[in-house]
Amino acid sequence: MTNSPAAFTEETVDIAGISVQLRSGGSGEPLLVLHGELGVPDWLEAHELLARHYSVCVPSLPGFGTSSFPDWLMSVRDLSAWVNWFVRECGLATPLNVVGFSMGGWIAAELATTNSALFSKMVLVGAAGLKPREGEIWDYFLNSAKDAFQQSFHDHESAQYLKYYGRDWTPDEAEQVETNREAAIRYLWRPYMHSVTLPDLLPAIATPTLLVWGRQDGIVPISSCELYQQGIANAQVAVMEDCGHMPEMEKPEEFANTVLGFLKG
Amino acid sequence: MFIGHFTEEPWQKEDWPVEWGSGVMAVSNAEYDPVRASNLYHRYIDEKVYAEEMGFDGIMVNEHHSAPFCMNGVANVKASILARVTNKAKILLLGNILPIHDDPLWLAESLAMIDVISRGRLIPGVVRGGGSESLTHNIPPHYNRERFEEAHDFLIKTWTTPGPFRWEGKHFHYRYVNPWAVPYQKPHPPIWVPGTSSRETVEWCARHRYPYIMLASQIDLTQQMYQVYYDTAREVGYEAGPQHLGFMFFFHVEETEERAIEVGRTLTQGVRSPYDPGAQRPKPWIAGPPGIATKSARALRRKMTAADSSGRTRAGARATFEDQVATHGMVVGTPDSVIPKVRYILEQLRPGTIIFRTGDGAMDHESQMRTLKLMGEEVMPKLREIADELGLPGPYDIDPMTNEPVTAMAS
Repeated sequence: MTNSPAAFTEETVDIAGISVQLRSGGSGEPLLVLHGELGVPDWLEAHELLARHYSVCVPSLPGFGTSSFPDWLMSVRDLSAWVNWFVRECGLATPLNVVGFSMGGWIAAELATTNSALFSKMVLVGAAGLKPREGEIWDYFLNSAKDAFQQSFHDHESAQYLKYYGRDWTPDEAEQVETNREAAIRYLWRPYMHSVTLPDLLPAIATPTLLVWGRQDGIVPISSCELYQQGIANAQVAVMEDCGHMPEMEKPEEFANTVLGFLKG
Repeated sequence: MFIGHFTEEPWQKEDWPVEWGSGVMAVSNAEYDPVRASNLYHRYIDEKVYAEEMGFDGIMVNEHHSAPFCMNGVANVKASILARVTNKAKILLLGNILPIHDDPLWLAESLAMIDVISRGRLIPGVVRGGGSESLTHNIPPHYNRERFEEAHDFLIKTWTTPGPFRWEGKHFHYRYVNPWAVPYQKPHPPIWVPGTSSRETVEWCARHRYPYIMLASQIDLTQQMYQVYYDTAREVGYEAGPQHLGFMFFFHVEETEERAIEVGRTLTQGVRSPYDPGAQRPKPWIAGPPGIATKSARALRRKMTAADSSGRTRAGARATFEDQVATHGMVVGTPDSVIPKVRYILEQLRPGTIIFRTGDGAMDHESQMRTLKLMGEEVMPKLREIADELGLPGPYDIDPMTNEPVTAMAS
């Protein structure tokens, strides 16, 4: 592994019926990153670490970031259909690797239930989509956006929390957070952050899967990890200690190494 | 002139902790004492009956959810009772929160029944509701406006089209629309719309020629919203007049000025609506989840909460009783002293409908009854003369749908 930062580009492209904010960098086989319900604020350190080995593609999903938000997208299943369309129109070679965070993990799982041939390997990180066996998924919409980021991190002194969230936001940043909430609310409102049919469809997934969970995930309880593991035949688990719902931001190096170990293994 | 009466009908309890505020989504219903509640419900119904006796043209009820400041979680229940126990006053239902109904057919039939039982006295107003209504009923706030408009269209069709018919919309779907009960009033009961400051709602209302009742008791803000109504009306090809516009304000009247101030002050005490001036607001993400609060509304909110030059946030500035009296949002005094104050409001705004909000907050039943009596005997007759002098027809004088005089039979 070298220490030189991977170059990345940020552009707006018309793909799969929407105007997409697309961040990408690195080279090699494609690695699709599906962000969570809070959106993705930047080209992150974790993206950079992964881009040393893969061609990392991070679209802002419809409604998030500066991507457009057509009315027809009403559910996570619509979103997974859109991701399938996006992959094809982008010309990404398939099967490809995918990393999905929280809502993005749910999207990846939905896609894998309908087309296991799309992904070569799948990493689900603190994935939403299932009603937890114990505990409840934390309610973003009864709480403030500030609370949401606080709840997502175990370590409120971690560098990326302080850099992006643990400070006063500029008006533009605050508006972006609200825009992302507007998108999240349309996809996730009810049943809240889970599907009632996904549990029965998980056995359809043949994709080798890694489930990454922060031990202290305060958003999606770790009991959901067990449900995913029981449902997906070829799934292994990596629990990160002293870590919350956003391992990619809280512990970027450990997270990247965990993912790379699985993808390369 | 149409004169209405309204009380928010709050929970009343002397030892309500100040930090609980209006209680919206903040207090467990373990606090709800059914015996106390039954007494309050009886009190508020009795007051409505008395308001009719004192000559009010309309008795208004509304609803809020998980909200102790308004005991009517289901306004249609109250309206149903009033439909039978009153005889003359319009039942001003302002209003049903259309987006939170997953089954607007149920709503259409409920309202038709109330209209029939009241023998055609129902005004079934419609509202979008606040964030707490969407959150408590788990209705997608992001589709609030779409659901409001589709439910409205569905109600009108259900009330005016002989069934059965089918409805395949975006949010509502029915294979057999044919409720047995249809409204007493034809072609359908008149729709009114209350609001505070949503420009989009005022425009929608004006396009439908529905009377718009401004609830935020502020003269300048009301003038701005009325202007939106006038402008929209011209765009769609008619002149809006007093019959299209209403204004609600706090009111208390007593035999002496000192008593009026002493008792009137209780309007700003107790379990108060979070939307009242100076009241404790719900948290912004509760009041305005995405979809309820538009991008422009969010920008306005940021502006309102920004610190002023003295470093004090505007939202933190509490409007006191004295502030509200000074800005005409609250009128208190003797029968003689309140008349010129209300005249000032009528001259400034030129509404065809005014709604007196009395007996609210921590005010007791006896004080409410005193004010209603004085209004009936001394205040309202004079105000009707002033309204005639100023040329302020209400929606039962000039039909807002046609701008033609209402005939006795139609009214």
